Amino acid sequence: EAKEEGKEVTQQWEDDWDDDDVNDDFSLQLRKELESNKDKN
Amino acid sequence: IETARIFDFEEFPVRDRVTYMYYTGRLEVYNENFPAADHKLSYALTHCNSRKGANMRMILKYLVPVKLSIGVLPRASLLESYGLTEYSDIVLSLRRGDLRLLRHALLEHEDRFLRSGVYLVLEKLELQVYQRLLKKIHLIQKEKDPNKAHQIKLDVIVKAMKWLQMDMDIDEVECIMSILIYKNLVKGYFAHKSKVVVLSKQDPFPKLNGKPVSS
Repeated sequence: EAKEEGKEVTQQWEDDWDDDDVNDDFSLQLRKELESNKDKN
Repeated sequence: IETARIFDFEEFPVRDRVTYMYYTGRLEVYNENFPAADHKLSYALTHCNSRKGANMRMILKYLVPVKLSIGVLPRASLLESYGLTEYSDIVLSLRRGDLRLLRHALLEHEDRFLRSGVYLVLEKLELQVYQRLLKKIHLIQKEKDPNKAHQIKLDVIVKAMKWLQMDMDIDEVECIMSILIYKNLVKGYFAHKSKVVVLSKQDPFPKLNGKPVSS
């Protein structure tokens, strides 16, 4: 039983997290920033 | 040492095996041998009696930074259930490419990370965060103009840095980009005169796939 739970812990890792999504808040702000800078140039 | 060769490791009692793998795993962390540390600490974790939450936590305290250094992220639920939320912002900074957040998280928990000896391991995650940020800039450019997206002006990177409150001039950015290329976190080359990073069209941001950043 203990081993089963141990296995569960090993499934708590993500190695394929590096997605192409740029719609999170951070990316949206970054986009805004880069675009506003373009206007200044 | 001689007798150890005669016995099969698996013949020892499981709690001794866990203890052995925990301590030798920690040693591998200090030696910066992350694949070996990953193997040993993961062994300790899977064989540890899961009712001993405190022991699981001790193992994870070292295994989490090791996994991060080979490009593997713990799920939020894992950090929460073992009270290891000091790593949460660090994980978030990797997901976002948020250098400001990484620096902030390192500063906030500096004492704890220094005491357990993982500070230097975590500090080195900065290169992976740079990689992620550059990838995000690339993706944003791609939405606007797919044909020119593989050319990233150093100016643009400087501006992103400024936004993240990292005061860097164009030479410093160029230096960091060349480190990323040298360490195979970015595939591409410089057009030094025009101050542009030209990304490879194929797999410009190679994944670590369980290997540490090359030194």
